[in-house]
Amino acid sequence: MIPFDLAEPKSLSEAIKLLDPDDATVRPIAGGTALMLMMKAGVFRPQKLVSLRKIESKYSGIVASHDGLRIGAMTTLGVIERSAEVRKHAPVITRTMITLSNVRVRNVATVGGALAHGDPHMDLPPVLMALGATITIVGPKGERSLALEDLFSGYYETTLEKNELIAEVHVPSQGPKKAAYMKVTTGSADDWPALGVAVVMEADGKAIKSARVVVSAATTKATRMKSAEAALAGKTVDDKVLAQAGDAAAEDAEILADVRGSVPYKRELIRVYVRRAVRAAIDGQGAH
Amino acid sequence: MIAARTINFTLNGAPVTADVKPHHNVVELLQAQFGLTGARETCGQGLCGCCTVIVNGLAVSGCLYLASFIDGAEVVTVESLDAGGKLSPVQEAFIETSAFQCGFCTPGFVLMVTQLLDEHPDPSDDQIKHYLTGNLCRCATYPEVMQAVKLAAKKRKGA
Repeated sequence: MIPFDLAEPKSLSEAIKLLDPDDATVRPIAGGTALMLMMKAGVFRPQKLVSLRKIESKYSGIVASHDGLRIGAMTTLGVIERSAEVRKHAPVITRTMITLSNVRVRNVATVGGALAHGDPHMDLPPVLMALGATITIVGPKGERSLALEDLFSGYYETTLEKNELIAEVHVPSQGPKKAAYMKVTTGSADDWPALGVAVVMEADGKAIKSARVVVSAATTKATRMKSAEAALAGKTVDDKVLAQAGDAAAEDAEILADVRGSVPYKRELIRVYVRRAVRAAIDGQGAH
Repeated sequence: MIAARTINFTLNGAPVTADVKPHHNVVELLQAQFGLTGARETCGQGLCGCCTVIVNGLAVSGCLYLASFIDGAEVVTVESLDAGGKLSPVQEAFIETSAFQCGFCTPGFVLMVTQLLDEHPDPSDDQIKHYLTGNLCRCATYPEVMQAVKLAAKKRKGA
């Protein structure tokens, strides 16, 4: 890697002051697992990194309350994976972790980093989005709250200003909702996915009241498939309803071709896997 | 020219000091300044497990971990496992089941299996496969590694 400077501020507010909205070569680093890949590949050449590892400890922890979880942005994926509170309030997150990258990456990568990176191939953003998560963002002008679905604006692009940082993720309790996350890898079993599908539904048996369906990896960004959600709302699940939801998502998705699959191939994956994910959620299978 | 900084950490139980630059990773530090070659940068992407080191009790990919970030940490490498001249139960199990061919990936596997058995003393096949998904063996000794994990689990219980 090319040399760069490293700042290690002791507080979030100090970190924000060190970021420069007009200088893209000064960037924050949390766990660094994704950023290191970009720096090694030479696609990102920072002059200076602002490490968030020494900011206040309250940003790395999980607090549960009656309405859900508040997860500090610096909380590692491994801590989330092992958290009894997460397992209780949002078991779909716990299940998703089993096949998310590998143990060593989960021990280091943070939830804030996983969101701020804007990488459409990551597993957690679609799951959190389907759960209806919101984030707290801190910048020079203070705090703001944002629905997670409004964070992603494109391929590795977010609506964060260059001197704003994600401080916290709020995840509503899953409660009696049925949820599943499925992903498809087309290289090895643990390759980056060609498709991720997250589904969270309010349902009484097979009667769906409302649904959130999020597709990722095949698309330029994690995206809610509102036509599929509409095809499911108020319906009783049968093969026809599942097919309508799969078809709706496949038609609406803005798909990106890459080494993991062509556009027509990924479109077919979406058609099949939206169907399977809804079925898995209804059957209580959760994730694979 | 960006200046080096001095960091202090514990390496295999002993307090040490090192001078590092911000762009150095943990593998580079261990090899260049401490002569420890058990952790090697191989895929360089955190996928293969050859660079596994333990930082504050957790397995990390040394090739994706900035050396500056181990300031104040407890670092354990594969070289610690036979301290005192006796192989660890996991090392013995790898030898007894021939769970390697060329041996290049073995230090990473041995460290990860040690962590696996700390977390799951009696792991199922599924737990083993999920835990070791980030360790690649290009000689494909995976069936023998599965046997080694089970033998090591038995040895550790007997110990």
